[in-house]
Amino acid sequence: MIITDLLGSRVFGPEFLGFVSDVRFFLESESVGRPARVYGIIVSPHARSSSLGFERSGVRSPWPIAALVRRRHRGSFLVRWGDIERLDVDRIQVRPGFERASSELP
Amino acid sequence: MTPSTGDRPGRWLDAQLHLLDRQVLDADDVPIAVVDDLELSEVPFGQEIPIDTPPPVITALLSGAALATRIFGGRPPESRMLRTPWVDVVEVGVVIKLGVMRDTLDLAWTERWVRDRIIGRIPGGRHTPGGKQDNHSEDGKRGGS
Repeated sequence: MIITDLLGSRVFGPEFLGFVSDVRFFLESESVGRPARVYGIIVSPHARSSSLGFERSGVRSPWPIAALVRRRHRGSFLVRWGDIERLDVDRIQVRPGFERASSELP
Repeated sequence: MTPSTGDRPGRWLDAQLHLLDRQVLDADDVPIAVVDDLELSEVPFGQEIPIDTPPPVITALLSGAALATRIFGGRPPESRMLRTPWVDVVEVGVVIKLGVMRDTLDLAWTERWVRDRIIGRIPGGRHTPGGKQDNHSEDGKRGGS
């Protein structure tokens, strides 16, 4: 599987939830050869595009662009890997009772 | 918020924010490619994923003919994408640094082919450029004094 199979896919729970705007990994260590595991997918209800780094909690400027991007990606949330039930072409199904985690980066 | 890594060594990476479109440098800091896609380890596709399935990991950075499919949609054939194994990555920052030389990677095959089949057959084409660079720097010093 390649990452573009996931990016932009439509995400469904009981109903349509949004689009995959990014995929979050956890890199276990900075040292050579350590694996980067999928932690979850970031679901944006309104946009397929990336949020250009404004998902980082401390980024607020330049404010016009930050405001525009935040508005475009309002309501974004993170679905952890364990809550993904099924992957299909352009469609991801999440498990019933999945958790909407914050998509902000620390 | 995504939890802090706390005491665990590691960091969070978002594919679009930290990896895609980043320049890849080899062990000599020579730019060799741009990350066009990421290859993930196999997961069940088109069927239900058992709840205890371990998350996929990045197995390779992919570079190649991705421009047309980005504009017009679709997916480039896998045969057109060149792999850089993830285990060769030593640092992810503004650029992605590898711990290996470009001559060991599939990515540089076109450069090697042109060097060996075309440039190398031109008279003088097998000179090492290092010596010439030294001469230039000496010329510059002489000119400036």
